Amino acid sequence: MARVPMNKANFRSSMLVFRSTSVRLAALYTAAFAVAVVVLGAIILITTRAALSRQFDERIRSEALALGQEFRTEGLSGVVQAVRERDRTPGALDYGLDGPGGRPLAGRLAGIATPLGWSRLTAREGSEREGLRVLTTDLPDGHRLVVGDDEERSEALQHTLIEGFAWAFIGVVALGALGGFGLSAIVHRRLSAMTEAAEAIIDGDLGRRIPVRGVGDDLDRLAMSFNRTLDRIAALMDSVRQVSSDIAHDLRTPLTRLRQRLEAGGDGAAGRAEAIEAALGDVDSILETFAALLRIAQIEGGAPRAAFRAVDLRRLAQTVVEAFAPSAEDADQSLELMEGPPAPVDGDPELLTQMLVNLVENALRHGGAGAAVVIATDHVDGRAEISVTDNGPGVPQAERSRIFDRFYRLERNRSTPGSGLGLALVAAVARRHGASVALEDARPGLVVRIAFPARTRGTLGFGNLPESPA
Amino acid sequence: MKLLVVEDDAEAAAYVRKALSEAGHTVDLASEGRQGLLLAAGETYDVIILDRMLPGLDGLAILRTVRAAGVKTPVLLLTALGGVDDRVEGLEAGGDDYLVKPFAIAELLARINALARRPPGRDIPTTLRVADLTMDVLKRTVSRGGARIELQPREFQLLEYLMRHAETVVTRTMLLEAVWDFHFDPKTNIVDTHMSRLRAKIDRGRGSELIHTIRGAGYCLRAPD
Repeated sequence: MARVPMNKANFRSSMLVFRSTSVRLAALYTAAFAVAVVVLGAIILITTRAALSRQFDERIRSEALALGQEFRTEGLSGVVQAVRERDRTPGALDYGLDGPGGRPLAGRLAGIATPLGWSRLTAREGSEREGLRVLTTDLPDGHRLVVGDDEERSEALQHTLIEGFAWAFIGVVALGALGGFGLSAIVHRRLSAMTEAAEAIIDGDLGRRIPVRGVGDDLDRLAMSFNRTLDRIAALMDSVRQVSSDIAHDLRTPLTRLRQRLEAGGDGAAGRAEAIEAALGDVDSILETFAALLRIAQIEGGAPRAAFRAVDLRRLAQTVVEAFAPSAEDADQSLELMEGPPAPVDGDPELLTQMLVNLVENALRHGGAGAAVVIATDHVDGRAEISVTDNGPGVPQAERSRIFDRFYRLERNRSTPGSGLGLALVAAVARRHGASVALEDARPGLVVRIAFPARTRGTLGFGNLPESPA
Repeated sequence: MKLLVVEDDAEAAAYVRKALSEAGHTVDLASEGRQGLLLAAGETYDVIILDRMLPGLDGLAILRTVRAAGVKTPVLLLTALGGVDDRVEGLEAGGDDYLVKPFAIAELLARINALARRPPGRDIPTTLRVADLTMDVLKRTVSRGGARIELQPREFQLLEYLMRHAETVVTRTMLLEAVWDFHFDPKTNIVDTHMSRLRAKIDRGRGSELIHTIRGAGYCLRAPD
């Protein structure tokens, strides 16, 4: 009982071979080849037949001419002698010589009244021959010469030819089918391996990869592309998992604090008002974290270049410096923009402004009192660059690759306020603009350098720059 | 003021209605798109507060229909989406202002007041006057009690916004958007810093204060009683 479905499955899988693309291609290819052989054979046969019959007729005509010549030089007796001689030679043509009035003189074909010119003689009584093609010519003095040849001779040749082609046809089809199906079996096996890997991945085995044979052919390249796709997806899934656990971790702390605050309430009306105020502060910081996460997700998920237009980084930097310099001054810090050329890029001015604001705030916050933050723009070979330099404690080499991760905060900053999302947003905005972010040591301090790709619009004009808000 | 709130979340709608009523406004509620459309087209409101995501009919679709029908009532869009494109879409559909959920009631009230005070049409005054403070927007001059006051360009913009919205509360977010074109909240309180500098120039040593800080809300420029 249990064997039936298994057999069915086996049958299905063997049927599957015949439904595979490669088998279908092999069959199609073989069929096309067979048709080509047939057409070729037919063409050769037709031309050969024409050539053969031309040759046939030529031989008959030249014999008739030769015998006519004989008659003129040697006379009737010479011709009679020649005909008799030829009649005795095996494999020669058939002849007949009639005298005036149809009197047979010599040759097997003598005494048959054939019309002048070409004609066909069907089998005579007692002859094994199928048919003869004959040429009847007049000789002087009312004599008549008949020269003919067995048609079977040319037909036999044609038969040999057809037979040869038939064998060739069978050979081609057999070889084609064998080769095609053999090749398709190999391809099918490799494609099946890919399908199997894909099915395994669908079923949840995310570590599974498609086998690569290492011969570097198209299937290998396809497999490698698939594997790279899978690697990318795995990395993305990892990052999503990482982000969810980060969110869980980073939101749990403020949520716990909020809960405790609400639970404790507060004594009296004033105490309660204070508790509510503090709780609102907690909620605001949680919402801020959410908003920042959402914004990063939107920047990363957004269609690249959707809202891009010509932006001068220098003008954005001026706005930001002018907005933040007073606050910096109040905190005994300084913020300035170095002299430099305009730095045009194609970008989203709002995102670029926020990126710059985050970098500046980050530099000022970590620089502490006495921090000096300098923004510089540069424009070389059509590529714009902006850098933010501070004189703060800098970032240890080991931690540099991680500071743009979501929620990542340097060990020494764990106790200071901050969501750990500011630089993640910077990285997201840079990525969206195809810009690279480099961290350098300012000894002391940190330089964050963001280098933009060359503009695609190819113009350095500012005609379409947005109005500055000033 | 007579306000229309189109919001599908009953609890949020009730809360907003209560807060707006307490502030002295008359509030009509519509819980779904079609009803909102009928009310917006049929009644006269000072400001329409429209949720972007509604069951039945999308908020932006309502907005377009209402605008196509020639209704010029200022519309404040509420949304849970805070993306750049979302805001641009909303404004392009005919919205006048945009507020991302969740928001503080003070913010909502301030924005409603600002919208209702918008001068009709394009007739924007170029000379502003609050008490003894005057501003010539075209000549970019400011004087108080006849004495010229020199302002930085950004301080001028800040004061212009305050004067155009005199007697009403303007929030820090409104100022960030209008004066700096920042559509996000920086962690640094740059508005307060700039405001204190402006105050030093406008109010210090001039007897009466014009710029007032409204706790938990923002600022208000108003003439002394």
